[in-house]
Amino acid sequence: MADRLERLVNLTATLLDTRRPLTLDELSERVEPRYPEEKSARRRQFERDKETLRELGIPIRIETVDGFGAEQAYRIHPDDYYLPELALTEAELAALHVAVTAVRLEGDAGREGLAKLGGLAGAGADTAVAELGVTPGLAALFDAVGRHATVTFSHRGAPRHLDPYGVVLRFGHWYVVGHDRDRDAPRAFRIDRIEGAPQVGPDGAFTPPAGIDPADYVRADPMTYGEDQPIDAHVLVDAPRAGWVVDQLGAESVVERRGDGAVVVALPVVNRGAFRSWVVDLLDHAEVLSPPELRADMVAWLDTVAGPAVSDAT
Amino acid sequence: MSRPQVAPRLQRVLALVPWILAHPGVTITELAARFEVSERELERDLELLPMCGLPPYTADRLIDVSVIDGEVEIRLAEYFERPLRLTPAEGLALLVAGRALLGVPGSDAEGPLASALAKLDDALGARGRLAVDVGVSDHLERLQAAAAVDERVEIDYYSFARDQMTTRVVDPWRVFHAFGTWYLAAWCHRADAERLFRIDRVLAVRPTGERFDPTTRSDDETRDLVYRPRPEDPRVTLHLAPSAEWVVESHPHEAATRHRDGSWDVALAISEPAWLERLLLALGPEARVVAPPELSTLGSDAAARIRRRYD
Repeated sequence: MADRLERLVNLTATLLDTRRPLTLDELSERVEPRYPEEKSARRRQFERDKETLRELGIPIRIETVDGFGAEQAYRIHPDDYYLPELALTEAELAALHVAVTAVRLEGDAGREGLAKLGGLAGAGADTAVAELGVTPGLAALFDAVGRHATVTFSHRGAPRHLDPYGVVLRFGHWYVVGHDRDRDAPRAFRIDRIEGAPQVGPDGAFTPPAGIDPADYVRADPMTYGEDQPIDAHVLVDAPRAGWVVDQLGAESVVERRGDGAVVVALPVVNRGAFRSWVVDLLDHAEVLSPPELRADMVAWLDTVAGPAVSDAT
Repeated sequence: MSRPQVAPRLQRVLALVPWILAHPGVTITELAARFEVSERELERDLELLPMCGLPPYTADRLIDVSVIDGEVEIRLAEYFERPLRLTPAEGLALLVAGRALLGVPGSDAEGPLASALAKLDDALGARGRLAVDVGVSDHLERLQAAAAVDERVEIDYYSFARDQMTTRVVDPWRVFHAFGTWYLAAWCHRADAERLFRIDRVLAVRPTGERFDPTTRSDDETRDLVYRPRPEDPRVTLHLAPSAEWVVESHPHEAATRHRDGSWDVALAISEPAWLERLLLALGPEARVVAPPELSTLGSDAAARIRRRYD
């Protein structure tokens, strides 16, 4: 174990220091403790070392060199390896330590990242203020955003090609936002609804527009995100739920405040199914006032759920 | 004997060396604390280094480590002068944690956290690529302030499960964000028990003029976040159309059977009837109550009741 660790440190140093890519034969002559003499055992151990380095994010480039026939050779390009100069102050490191202890994320990536930046400075936070989920695929999509690489994935059964501009956490869900190539329009996709691992295309496939805020791509409320033509709805909400609704939609959505504490709110509806669920979630405390079309939708839905007994009675 | 994994140790060594190079004379004690290892383990890491370096591993090519009176210096390791880049997952984790904390009311938008994030954004090319919105409810700051000074308050609270307005006196212990919403962990004097309140269902906060004893605080408030069925809670069996499969995925259930046509029978425990009413109202024809018989008209009764508002 100590031998293997020693060799991994030496292998990293050698690949990082070399000016030209080195073949496995050349590495075997140089790096200590030595790889086995026997060819297949040597290859196996080297592949295992290479895999360990890759898992840690150490970027090994594989290049083809002309030797006796084309042969693969390896190096670590310094620009790929070194962390750019950050010049974090001790106070900034301590603030990041507070952040990774106060905001709990699944996994150890935050602490591992902090170790590279200079370890844990200061005391950290005593208690967590927030617990945030991380969705599989998120890091790969975030990476694709930075590389300007088009991503391909299946979302609710349909294949999508997206030029990703950013990732957004809102209402407890992660979204990837960008330009949908198939629809030629801006779109946001919930990452947990992506089926399987997203495929990342080559770097530099697009130029993201300047000065955008990825948050703008995710509508203020999931209910208002959809494919239907937007219609403005007015909904009456009784006092017990008025405060919550105003919290959710914002004070600017209120078009009328009534003496009994009820409010009338206006909201754009682009997804009728989601709108209906939102209204019925308020049970008896909400009523769709207008437009007549949405009010009729609601009545029809309630009649369907109420079943024939009510239709007979009315 | 335990065999420590090689990868985490390599990772630590590659982080340690650049830090020591930049801070000659740093003590073993400080290094152990910074890199979350025991001093003994750290010494073992340092003992490894003099065997490492570049071919042909002559004295001038090996890493030179000196520890004098617990102070560490390293020479001849220029190629490890700077740490390894952050992986996308590490960069993201740091930025997300930092952005989320900056979004909490009362955080310093100009302080060291903000400047650290700006530097990270630049280094990772992440400026404008990430948005973390933890949302802010009306009464969040008020409750945060009350918790900070052990102030007992009275709140108006909407109980979602029971569809009921309540007023109660609470000792606010702590506010925190989880799964997209803010919670208040408190001692509720009405229930005479520890309770979690969703802050977006708090309609009003009033002072009582009293303080509570801060030593009564408990710090295991997150355990009630997820509904855990009690034996006395009613059980219901639903028949779901294939299109309502998400219910099976997103609600804890006690049994689920998938039929040949893709439809489901799923047995759930329910905390309160209002919860099931909402589910049935949203699902409409996609769901039907199979058992028990007394709940079979719950959805249709609720629909008929709400329908009267539109007469």
